Amino acid sequence: MSNSDHHTAPMSPVEQRVAALEALLTERGLVPEGFIEEITRRYETEIGPMNGAKVVARAWADPEYKLRLLADGTAAIAELGFGGPEGDHLVVVENTAAVHNVIVCTLCSCYPWPVLGLPPAWYKDPPYRARMVREPRALLAEMGCPLPEKVEIRVWDSSAEVRYLVLPERPPGTAGMTEAELAALVTRDSMIGVARL
Amino acid sequence: MTTPLSLSGLDLPRRNGELAFDAPWQSTVFALAAAVIENGFGGDPEPFRQQLIRAIAAEPGRPYWESWTAALEELVP
Repeated sequence: MSNSDHHTAPMSPVEQRVAALEALLTERGLVPEGFIEEITRRYETEIGPMNGAKVVARAWADPEYKLRLLADGTAAIAELGFGGPEGDHLVVVENTAAVHNVIVCTLCSCYPWPVLGLPPAWYKDPPYRARMVREPRALLAEMGCPLPEKVEIRVWDSSAEVRYLVLPERPPGTAGMTEAELAALVTRDSMIGVARL
Repeated sequence: MTTPLSLSGLDLPRRNGELAFDAPWQSTVFALAAAVIENGFGGDPEPFRQQLIRAIAAEPGRPYWESWTAALEELVP
């Protein structure tokens, strides 16, 4: 038999399992036509840390927005058009000179998808999930984010109900910047809380 | 419903860009889980999340998206 156009290598066991799931779920009418392609396209191109960066930049630029954001993260984030799965209860925690926040999910990989996209590999790995709770200061230092002893570290364990997003401190020297310029300064890691700006 | 995701247009470039998926089967299992949550459980992610927690606890070293696959297989017998 000649090679088909689409498959030049045999399917791995996990690929076969996923294909079987897809066939089963499609047969049960749970997967609308084009759904997989649409979800994939969105998460690869539209949903990611750039969304969270816009939220952070708005909070830096607009004190009224920042108040709303800290009071009701879900609603304030929805003002910018972001929401959906894993975003029903978004809580924004603010870094200050005295307090540093960091997020983790100890049980699985809960993460604020609408504003950060899908989590990076290390966020999902057991060492991060265990150590960020047990020894956050040491782990943060190892990850390139050493903090003075006087800075309090607050670790937020994501749960079924709540997803957290860190509002980093606005960097010095950014007074005249536009919101778009500010957004370009905001990194994913700063919104997880494993980096400072 | 057509999609559980609401978005607005975005113009910032992707930052810190780890690709979300390393292979097509990973995005497929992700989308299948989203479809089951939305169309099988009325948008409630908790049943899937509980299966994922069990799957990860059962084999902590297993590759992440394989745990998703195992969780989905348990959820949809």
